[in-house]
Amino acid sequence: MIHHLLHGCPTLQRLPPVIETPFFFSREQTRLFGFLHLPEQSGTLPGLVLSHPFAEEKLWSHRVMISLARALAAQGYPVLRFDYMGAGDSDGTAPDTSLDTHLSDLKAAIAEFSRRVPTLSAIGLIGLRLGASFAALIAEQAAADEQLAALRHAPLILWEPVLDGEGYFQELLRSNLSTQLAVYGKVVENREALTARILGGEPVNVDGYDIGKALLESCGTPTLVNTAAKQHQGPTLVMQIAASKAQKDREDLAALAASYSQGTCQRAAEQPFWREIKPFYARAEQLQSLTLQWLKEQHAGAEAGPATQQESAHA
Amino acid sequence: MHKVDVTAFPNAQGQTLYGTLHHPAETNADLPVVVLLSPGVKMRVGPGRLYVPLTQMLNDAGYRVLRFDFHGLGDAGGELQETQLADVYNHIEVGRYVGDTQTALQWLRQHLGCERFILGGLCGGAITALLTAQREPQVEALLSLGMTVTLASNAATPAKYLTRAQLDSRRQGYYKRLLQPKSWLRLLTFQSEYGVIWRSMKRLVIKEPPPAVQSPATIEQRGNANPLFPSAYFAFLQRGGKALMLFSEKDRLQSEYEEKFVAAHQQQLLPYQAQIHQHIVKDANHVLSFTPWQQEMVRVCQDWLGTLPARPLNRSDA
Repeated sequence: MIHHLLHGCPTLQRLPPVIETPFFFSREQTRLFGFLHLPEQSGTLPGLVLSHPFAEEKLWSHRVMISLARALAAQGYPVLRFDYMGAGDSDGTAPDTSLDTHLSDLKAAIAEFSRRVPTLSAIGLIGLRLGASFAALIAEQAAADEQLAALRHAPLILWEPVLDGEGYFQELLRSNLSTQLAVYGKVVENREALTARILGGEPVNVDGYDIGKALLESCGTPTLVNTAAKQHQGPTLVMQIAASKAQKDREDLAALAASYSQGTCQRAAEQPFWREIKPFYARAEQLQSLTLQWLKEQHAGAEAGPATQQESAHA
Repeated sequence: MHKVDVTAFPNAQGQTLYGTLHHPAETNADLPVVVLLSPGVKMRVGPGRLYVPLTQMLNDAGYRVLRFDFHGLGDAGGELQETQLADVYNHIEVGRYVGDTQTALQWLRQHLGCERFILGGLCGGAITALLTAQREPQVEALLSLGMTVTLASNAATPAKYLTRAQLDSRRQGYYKRLLQPKSWLRLLTFQSEYGVIWRSMKRLVIKEPPPAVQSPATIEQRGNANPLFPSAYFAFLQRGGKALMLFSEKDRLQSEYEEKFVAAHQQQLLPYQAQIHQHIVKDANHVLSFTPWQQEMVRVCQDWLGTLPARPLNRSDA
């Protein structure tokens, strides 16, 4: 357990210390890496589990997620980050994974969070990209799963979620094509051939991660996250991340927000920090600030009572 | 499944550095401890989790392995003030994380009682390993993947410092785009890199010496060379250090190493040939992303480890 004082950070150094604890936990035989960020004083705020994006997007966005976790803990929110199987310090490799393994990992992380911080009555989720999709999907399971009861009325925050899994994986495969172009000077195997190879049982590598059949079949669907009415009862924030004003508001994300009983769609002006870009992205200032502000409003609404909370929905 | 401990130790500035210590099924205390250093801004598993299969092989071979995050990166405490990636890279190349690495070695001495080390890493991790080895005599070997011998601060004008191999590669690319209207549009609307086009084509007309007697890179080409690299490398070799210098064929770092360092120091390198094992992974890119490239890297590392002395170096022999 480490008391972390957020050294040298101009925007956070005045904030109270955060207690940090890295650890390993298990989901069946799989060892997963977890990292707790706890405020020194326990309060009534919900805990939050961070759900990271897939493959190299996780590494590029790592510091943004850390900064968010520390800022949340400094504001009084207990936070758990963890690595999915086949990612970061957790066991396994990408071809071992599927939608089921990701959702099982997330469920195990929520259970571990409850075990380590037993005072938590509500646990919210914050996900980025494919990690947001997993968060949205597990939240829908909560209505019928007592082990996920802590999610039912807790905040759900989806940063740039992937709705179209098929399109997402085709984009990933483009990265394989780029590598082929760079090293062979031509495309040796096009996307159709790569997809066929995966579906034939032979993983295809994208930026160092082998994409396997189980993952592609389970997550590579056009409606990985749909916009039909959702069961999740807690406040939900869908965040579009757009670098410039020229980028249009995404109708699919607005429709997703509208599918939740307490859904809100917002927009943050940030670069796509989950990819390699020229700026060094240690923190997504506006995205983090809007998220913290929204969480604060939800808590204020909850403290004020159900009527006020209802009025603030869809703001 | 190998045993893994989470680790946390403060650096000299009091910032907490988190990591994982990976134990083999049966620890061989005679073997050095391997510390894998993070490349660039990536956290301790490396791009594409490159360090995961490497750690697995090292554990299988009986080595203990520490991976940890440098301050301001990964899970570590501290904040970096740079706003551009190239500036972060540049600070790494001139030794920003030598202190953190020395802290890690000290932590290993105190907690494992070990006195022999191998430092390894990709790119920024490799140069940090070398610059640390220069200061830490207990570092016996260097497992370098894509050593960088240049400074990224010159990334603002990369065309100025292209190596011969890079210029030839660019020229091939221009040939392929000759029939693309977009390329001609760029050329005619002043968007192309005319200097690079000229320099790459000039090489067709002005003949250079064949590779066997190739002269070192010109002063301009060496202009972005890291001045800290040669002295650190020779100091390490002089005291008997062993180095695996593994490069990817399609990575500029390979041609930069050859043209901006080796060609300029051929005579000085002669006495140390037996200490340096160089390997180039065919077709591979900078981060060895495709699985066969990773497998080849792991296999070469394993073979190289087998050539290292089992017992500590006799300092008087160095």
